[in-house]
Amino acid sequence: MSDKHMETGEGHIGYPGYIGVFTILVVGTIFTYFSSFWDLDSIFPGANTLLALAIAFTKMTFVMLFFMHVYWSPRLIWLSAVASFFWLAIMFAYTMQDYFTRGLGVFSV
Amino acid sequence: MQNVDAINSGIPAIPKDNYLTNGFSLKSWLLTKDHKRIAIMYLITISMFFMAGGLYASAIRLELLTPETDLLTSATYNKVFTQHGILMIFFFLIPSIPAVLGNFLLPIMIGAKDLALPRINLLSLYIYWIGGALTVFALLQGGVDTGWTFYTPYSTTFSNSYVMAVGLGIFINGFSSILTGLNFIVTVHTMRAPGMTWFRLPLFVWAQYATSLVMILGTPVIAITVLLLAIERTVGVGIFDPAIGGDPILFQHLFWFYSHPAVYIMILPGMGVISELISNFSRKKIFGYEFIAFSSIAIAVFGFLVWGHHMFVSGQSIYAGMVFSFLTMVVAVPSAIKMFNWTATLYKGSISYDTPMLYAIGFMGLFLIGGLTGLFLGAIGLTVHLTDTYFVVAHFHYVMVGGQVIAYLGGIHYWWPKMTGRMYSEFWGKISAMLVFIGFNLTFFPQFIVGYQGMPRRYASYPAEFQVLNIFSTAGASVLGVGLVMPVIYLGASLINGKPAGDNPWMLPGLEWRTSSPPPTENFEKTPVVTWEAYEFGEESGLDLDGARRRDQVSTVV
Amino acid sequence: MATHSDTHHEEFHYHAPGLQHQFEDMKQQEESVSIGMWAFLVQEIMFFGGLFTAYLVFRSRFPLAFAEASNHLNAFWGGLNTLVLIVSSLTMALAVFYAQKGNRNMQVIMIVLTMIFGTAFLGVKAIEYTDKYNTGLIPVTGWNKKVKESDVQHAGEPAKGSEGAFVLPLIETKAEASAAADDHEKPYINPNGEFQWNSGRHVFDYAIEKEKSGKAYLTAAERVGYFSNGEFDPNKYRDKIRIFYFIYFVMTGLHALHMVVGLGLMSWLLWAAFRGSFSGEYFAPVEMSGLYWHFVDIVWIFLFPLLYLLGRHFLAGGAH
Repeated sequence: MSDKHMETGEGHIGYPGYIGVFTILVVGTIFTYFSSFWDLDSIFPGANTLLALAIAFTKMTFVMLFFMHVYWSPRLIWLSAVASFFWLAIMFAYTMQDYFTRGLGVFSV
Repeated sequence: MQNVDAINSGIPAIPKDNYLTNGFSLKSWLLTKDHKRIAIMYLITISMFFMAGGLYASAIRLELLTPETDLLTSATYNKVFTQHGILMIFFFLIPSIPAVLGNFLLPIMIGAKDLALPRINLLSLYIYWIGGALTVFALLQGGVDTGWTFYTPYSTTFSNSYVMAVGLGIFINGFSSILTGLNFIVTVHTMRAPGMTWFRLPLFVWAQYATSLVMILGTPVIAITVLLLAIERTVGVGIFDPAIGGDPILFQHLFWFYSHPAVYIMILPGMGVISELISNFSRKKIFGYEFIAFSSIAIAVFGFLVWGHHMFVSGQSIYAGMVFSFLTMVVAVPSAIKMFNWTATLYKGSISYDTPMLYAIGFMGLFLIGGLTGLFLGAIGLTVHLTDTYFVVAHFHYVMVGGQVIAYLGGIHYWWPKMTGRMYSEFWGKISAMLVFIGFNLTFFPQFIVGYQGMPRRYASYPAEFQVLNIFSTAGASVLGVGLVMPVIYLGASLINGKPAGDNPWMLPGLEWRTSSPPPTENFEKTPVVTWEAYEFGEESGLDLDGARRRDQVSTVV
Repeated sequence: MATHSDTHHEEFHYHAPGLQHQFEDMKQQEESVSIGMWAFLVQEIMFFGGLFTAYLVFRSRFPLAFAEASNHLNAFWGGLNTLVLIVSSLTMALAVFYAQKGNRNMQVIMIVLTMIFGTAFLGVKAIEYTDKYNTGLIPVTGWNKKVKESDVQHAGEPAKGSEGAFVLPLIETKAEASAAADDHEKPYINPNGEFQWNSGRHVFDYAIEKEKSGKAYLTAAERVGYFSNGEFDPNKYRDKIRIFYFIYFVMTGLHALHMVVGLGLMSWLLWAAFRGSFSGEYFAPVEMSGLYWHFVDIVWIFLFPLLYLLGRHFLAGGAH
């Protein structure tokens, strides 16, 4: 903590920066709305959801880095942000490894 | 070090200004922000929950004295073991060491004036009280009979007991543990005294830190699970009900995602206490400090990867069972690292067998048995035979009681002079430690045998062939009960006629022994500067520890 | 949330140097509060994580029923709400920005704007919930609008819902169009306020049609879960749709609850900012409330695609 004090007073990207992030978020929202009409699932099942989630992750990253000032924050804040998603991934992965190996959520003829 | 002279001169006295004399009104306690007073209030409440849970345990053991269902009806028996579990797990074991010893000692051990967020600390106590009161109310109304695990669809659809109220009590209580964990994490990160680097922290603090991680990451999941269960039970629709396509096993996944790591909430702080006791009563620097510290963190992380071993026979896929079985074996490694390091610490140490050390040695034996039998249960083939037998009951009591409760008692004895400023009777302390150890083994070792022979858990009756071992078990429970009641008496008596302990009755280098007993409200007269390593017995510690034998200074009340 | 308000409370009795007794200096206090807030957010993430796990399990099992149900949510309202929330996030970020600058007036304006957009979000949410109430989509028996058969006979126009219902502004997919058409054809009759599914099985039919090409479009669970004696069973299909709506209401309901708490925080902030409590040196409460607000925004960023935008491509025929 001591090595990298959060200079919160300096920790922002200024007015244009905020508007820029905002624009990205709006574009992302509109894009995700319309991309949901494209039949990407014909490429592989779940491609639509994958794209939507990729956009959501991008939006989240921008909100966290700039609106929540993680970009200027000490390592510990980065760590806690990453760790929470890591633990979420543990919960998803280890629950789903059960369901998928039971064949319940698997496409079958 | 303001007290070094007093310690070295060896004149015990209780200072006039300490946290206990800083206000005597009820308000000065109920609205306090002092972590030490909050810890004392936790201690009293938790002891009451422990006694209530113990009464339920005696009812179970009395019923099991005979093979027939005679003392209690089957329905009552269901409620009795459920309530024993709920009170002991959610209201005693989980808060025990963190909320009492952690609250009291963590700030002192790192040289801070208080926890980082004192109001939140007080808030967590009130949340604990509210959750506890709600649960006790529900239990008095008639209680629950689902088992402490609340498995669906029994708990959502079929049980006619007070599932909602108890569930709400547990939901509320969860936030108490979240807030405590949050507070500890912040405190360890920001409140360490100058010179108190991470690798100078006592291992108790490392263990508390690891526990706090589990509390923050796990507890919210049980909160949402209980909430979903409550919604499903109230409005009659949900996601766990197989009748409409829901999935009861999803409940088990979510439940054990918290409740297995919760097992580590129940043992990690105990391991922290034992690390303190083993090193300090061997008067030797702990062997492999970094390994013990990081094994705590490793347990906290790996503890999240093994929950499926509670579900081997409940419909989980074989593949998932294999993965969870393998990871269960892996999580044994950090625990084993601790055991080896403690043993190595004892080697050539100058060991003194005081009451806390008796508990610590008892812990090592009992935890070893508890841990190794856990591997039986983690083995995916053998566990089919052992699931839901008394083998499981014996296993987790060896870990929970033989681990956490023994460590808690050891810790209470060890820090009692610091908390109250007075020494308890060493004689009665040793007797009680012996009784607990003997009584515990007599109670639970026979259960390994009857369990292996196939006696199922959670039934009020059993085949007559198991009666002899069950009589042993009940007899042991009586001895254990006596051993557990005794500390209440002699510790209580020490408050009245105990000899003043002095600042450092055990002659130890830790930061908590360098302030007065009981400590002042701000813990230290001025912020200490740490220039020594943890468990440093020698000149570097700034205390004349080598020559002094505390026997000469501490007289005991026999 | 308790953590949150309490943290502010602590700092609110701020007098030079404004330091709580347990801290050595202001920097230590700021770090503690910031780490505490992040630890709180971590537990919030895990709290919602349990719900996302439930969503994941059921969606992977019954993707068609989920897509069917999702097509009946109004993605336009959902998208609009996403934009509303993003604007409120911007104003919140700017409130922190102006607090750092010590600009009291802009700070107050930004907080007011944040509150307005937050309330607008809840308003839209209320409209959507009302629509579900009117069309019998609340998965709890007795919580939907109760309409007896005789009532419908007397009303000449068998419109879906009734006077309170909004006409949905944008119909994008065939499923939505035909769902609305179905609703118009069949009068809403629900004497006990039960969960109803009157909008057919468009996604299911689409998948069955596609399966003729030889590719699997149904999961193993669906091959069991939608059929009785080899025949499609509308009641079993409805039950899976009901699970979607259960998850939908719990997730959006908890999210809305967080919004309400956030608005409570904002009211307090507004009062404090109006009194000029914050300065370039001391603005931690604004910043911490901001973290909370952005977190709630992030949850919605995920809820929107996961709840509103499923399987719309199956039946994308309308506006696009």
